[in-house]
Amino acid sequence: MPEYESVIGLETHIQVKTRSKIFCGCKADSWNDPPNVNICPVCTGLPGVLPVLNQEVVAKAVQLASALHAESIQGESYFARKNYFYPDLPKGYQISQYDEPLARAGRFELPLPGRALATVGISRLHLEEDAGRTIYQAGRRLIDFNRCGVPLVEMVTEPDLRSADEVAQFLIRLRQLLRWLDISDADMERGQLRCDANVSIREPGSQQLNPKTEIKNVNSITNVRQAVQAEIERQIREVEAGRTIESWTLDWDDERGVLSRMRSKETEADYRYFREPDLLPIRVEETEKRALQQALPELPLARRARLVQAYGLPEYDAEILTEERSLADFFETSVKAYAGDPKRVSNWVMNDVLRLIRQAGATAGELGLQPAHLAEIIQLVDSGMITAGVGKELLEQARNAERSPRQLVEEQGLIQVTDSDVLREAAGKILQANPDQVESYRAGKKTILGWFVGQLMRETGGRADAKKARELLQELLER
Amino acid sequence: MTGQICDLPALELVRRLKRGEFSAGEALDSTLARIELVEGRSGSVQNTSADPLDAARVHAYITVTRERARQQARAVDRALASGEDPGPLAGVPLAVKDIFCVAGTPSTAGSRILANFVSPYTATPVARLEAAGALTIGKANLDEFTYGSSNESSAFNPTTRNPWAADRVPGGSSGGSAAAVAAGEATLSLGTDTSGSIRQPAAFCGVVGLKPTYGRVSRYGLIAFASSLDSPGPLARNTTDAALMLGAIAGPDWRDSTAANAPLTDYVAELEAGVQGLRVGLSPDFLRLRTPDAETGELREQGLQPEIEQAVRRVAETLAGLGAEIVEDVPMPSVRFAIPAYFVISRVEAASNLHRYDGVKYGHRAAGPAADLSQLYRRSRGEGFGTQPKLRILMGMYVSGAQYEKRYYEQALRVRTAIRRDFERAFDQEGPARLDALLAPTTPTTAFELGKVYGDSVLMQYADLLTVPANHAGIPALSVPAGLDTSRLPIGVQWMGPDFSEATLLRIGRAYERATADQPWRQIRPAILRELMSA
Amino acid sequence: MAEAPKPKPIDEQVFQHLVQLAALELQADEAEYLRHELNAQLDAIRELEAVRIALDLPITSHGVPYGPAIRPSPRGDQIRPSELADAILAQAPEVMDRYLVVPDLPRIDLE
Repeated sequence: MPEYESVIGLETHIQVKTRSKIFCGCKADSWNDPPNVNICPVCTGLPGVLPVLNQEVVAKAVQLASALHAESIQGESYFARKNYFYPDLPKGYQISQYDEPLARAGRFELPLPGRALATVGISRLHLEEDAGRTIYQAGRRLIDFNRCGVPLVEMVTEPDLRSADEVAQFLIRLRQLLRWLDISDADMERGQLRCDANVSIREPGSQQLNPKTEIKNVNSITNVRQAVQAEIERQIREVEAGRTIESWTLDWDDERGVLSRMRSKETEADYRYFREPDLLPIRVEETEKRALQQALPELPLARRARLVQAYGLPEYDAEILTEERSLADFFETSVKAYAGDPKRVSNWVMNDVLRLIRQAGATAGELGLQPAHLAEIIQLVDSGMITAGVGKELLEQARNAERSPRQLVEEQGLIQVTDSDVLREAAGKILQANPDQVESYRAGKKTILGWFVGQLMRETGGRADAKKARELLQELLER
Repeated sequence: MTGQICDLPALELVRRLKRGEFSAGEALDSTLARIELVEGRSGSVQNTSADPLDAARVHAYITVTRERARQQARAVDRALASGEDPGPLAGVPLAVKDIFCVAGTPSTAGSRILANFVSPYTATPVARLEAAGALTIGKANLDEFTYGSSNESSAFNPTTRNPWAADRVPGGSSGGSAAAVAAGEATLSLGTDTSGSIRQPAAFCGVVGLKPTYGRVSRYGLIAFASSLDSPGPLARNTTDAALMLGAIAGPDWRDSTAANAPLTDYVAELEAGVQGLRVGLSPDFLRLRTPDAETGELREQGLQPEIEQAVRRVAETLAGLGAEIVEDVPMPSVRFAIPAYFVISRVEAASNLHRYDGVKYGHRAAGPAADLSQLYRRSRGEGFGTQPKLRILMGMYVSGAQYEKRYYEQALRVRTAIRRDFERAFDQEGPARLDALLAPTTPTTAFELGKVYGDSVLMQYADLLTVPANHAGIPALSVPAGLDTSRLPIGVQWMGPDFSEATLLRIGRAYERATADQPWRQIRPAILRELMSA
Repeated sequence: MAEAPKPKPIDEQVFQHLVQLAALELQADEAEYLRHELNAQLDAIRELEAVRIALDLPITSHGVPYGPAIRPSPRGDQIRPSELADAILAQAPEVMDRYLVVPDLPRIDLE
């Protein structure tokens, strides 16, 4: 059986995070709302209505295009009507961009495990409105227009991806970038990031582009990977069986894990695009463009490289710390406040702070923990004033706290017990109370020492200097 | 003139109302009494059989909104009683072309597909007129979705008749609006002009019609035909009323991103400035026309109805006598392609604008179960649309198809630019003509007979030959009555001017009106009124 | 400049394609009339092909140029609820639990 190379390009649809919809004043986010409440005459296509562009959508799209190194962000681009009938499209046309998109010719640097950076070409990026949602129910469709007019950026890649895994990696990195720039929450389950995959196969080394199919309607990275893999395998089976691939549009049903296509020829593309006469050209002035570009934060990959270089962190740490922008910010601010070994801060962040973040289901920025407080806690541990265990508990307490960790330590009496007399007295009590354990230690079961240390910790509320406690107990038991 | 309130021009009505000579309620009653006398059956999709009485009545309306008008009249009278300003259009009876959405009223576009649609919202120009104190008397009949020049394509029967001759069309598509204003069934009317739909019926019915600059008046709530050409504007008894009404509806609107942010003018205040020193042009390209032969369809070079050309000459002489400079032979070489270009641009936009009527969200849905979604679409649209929308949809589909798009659509857009350049050259203050306005006939003929042209979609389109160039260019144009032909049918002439020059056009119109106020033709009233009021 | 070849009239097949794109169910006599009128219009439109026009003449969306002086200011990102949701739903021919209802489009699974 000959090998095949798969050739995959993606059309991603990114919901831009704005308060109002792209062409009307309705609330854009309807995630927790009943159907058909955030609607108005404009987004439901009543007779006589007109679209009016939300300027914030343009600003965010220009930032995204800049982050993708787009060579040409057009000073003037145009909306066009894409005409087709579909029940989730109330006007019977989608306002999109066609011959003159907002930006062209960008690139996405994609780090792949075990490989150098791959560059995925971005052929175009344009603005458009989202359609509504339909639900299938017993031979009918139920339509909700809440999502109509939610702003989208459509980003089209070149066919530069070569496997289902690369597709998944691309989406993970894209999601990271979108959240990093606060352009989108990019939650695929919520439809904030959607992707249509154009899939074809060819013999390796061939430059030919074969007929492709387009997979639509996939709502998680896992499902995209599965759907693309299933389609690659199906195409190989077809070609092996001597059949040709037809340019179908396919739907992925993630519950059943099957691809399906429409029965009729409704997919035939004849959109009869023309410039939208209800909207003026989108203008991006040079000064505005420059201001938006200057406001761009350092991008994830650059930040990752800098963390390695500036702080001497391992790649692994830098990767995790740049997962999300506020986490990287948190780390760097903490390092400055700590003024010690950055790796020590990294360890605290990756182990303890991240655990809190995951538990809270929040970002570092939303956690309510001040970087200066983390630095102070590490310093308190370093100085021996508190134990590492107490430090970890303090992290939790320091969230949304008005007092500093030092104040908390003093108020709650959490200072590490290093006084030998105090520890000796407590140890004596424990030995006295547990004659059986003392007996077995002395009979040679030395491993029970750890149990005694634990008892002593409990007795002191975790404040005992662990090293001293161990030495003392050993001394008493050996006696 | 009779002493009835419904026959007063708007500005005078408002002045006398404010002086306490009558109440808004009385103004409304006067208009409703006139409707009672001349309207006959209003248009309905249920009316299929002809009634012998129909022939002698106007049928200007689809819906008469008595209750709405009554409440508005009460509000005006309350404001007057408490010493508040009731607004610049207080108590003025207004007919709204039924292409505008008005909350709580059937907003039908003259189509079966919207016959049951009750708009949840109000169009911006209507909201502004109502806020200015106007009384919305009703929704006027029109060609279906404004597609026509005679009102005969409306799904709502009986067809509106021309008050000047019941066997003639009122023109279109704002035919109900023009007929209502001419017959005293409304004092003002809000119409729309995409290729002449305000000016042509205004000319046919002997009233004033103003197509403002594209973007001067918000299109929000205007059910779209050709979005790049549609202009809402006034139909009125005289230029003063048109100025008064334009002042109420003009200006930017956050709901329409093509509503221009151009400075507003007090159009009434500038009316009486006269025409001394203004340069008014005449172009052979608006006097020698190419129209298709009714028999063979071949395009032929031909003149206007002679009385119309004579009227244009007389108007020019009048203006010259008032101190205007007449500039002859201004070349407008591209306007002869205005109709074919319009055929393409308007159909592409119309087909797209009509996509939304699908039986899902509002309007007509085919009865009975549908096998699948596409059958629901096909049936609902097949039953709901009349012939004219269907023709426009199909032609739009054809010329915007990928393989024809460059050949037709792009070429048409280039022609539009060429027409615009013709006007820019004529109005260029450094150019050879340096015009303030171009004078032209509004229509090639006076009102034609019912049934004479309808059915021949090409010939009907050519009724817009003289009006559509202003739509392509986006510029304002004002049509005013300029006499009657030998059949006692009104003749209209128009002035076209540079962008946002409405004040100048109205000034010229007013000067002409004042200079001809005593001419005998101005004393003649529409035939239907003469007959019914003497009966 | 060479004359463009004269396009064929709209034949039955092209007409049916247009009708399908337009989602229209037509009566036979109606279809015949419409096709006849389309071809008559097409004759008029063909005049355009004869127009000698500079190909560098710019194409614009509107006759009026929207220069900076008259361009409306852009809309800020503010929520303005319409409060018309129920009135809009009230116009729909079929509604269930606030959803609009339409028949389905059939689909087939692939192996």
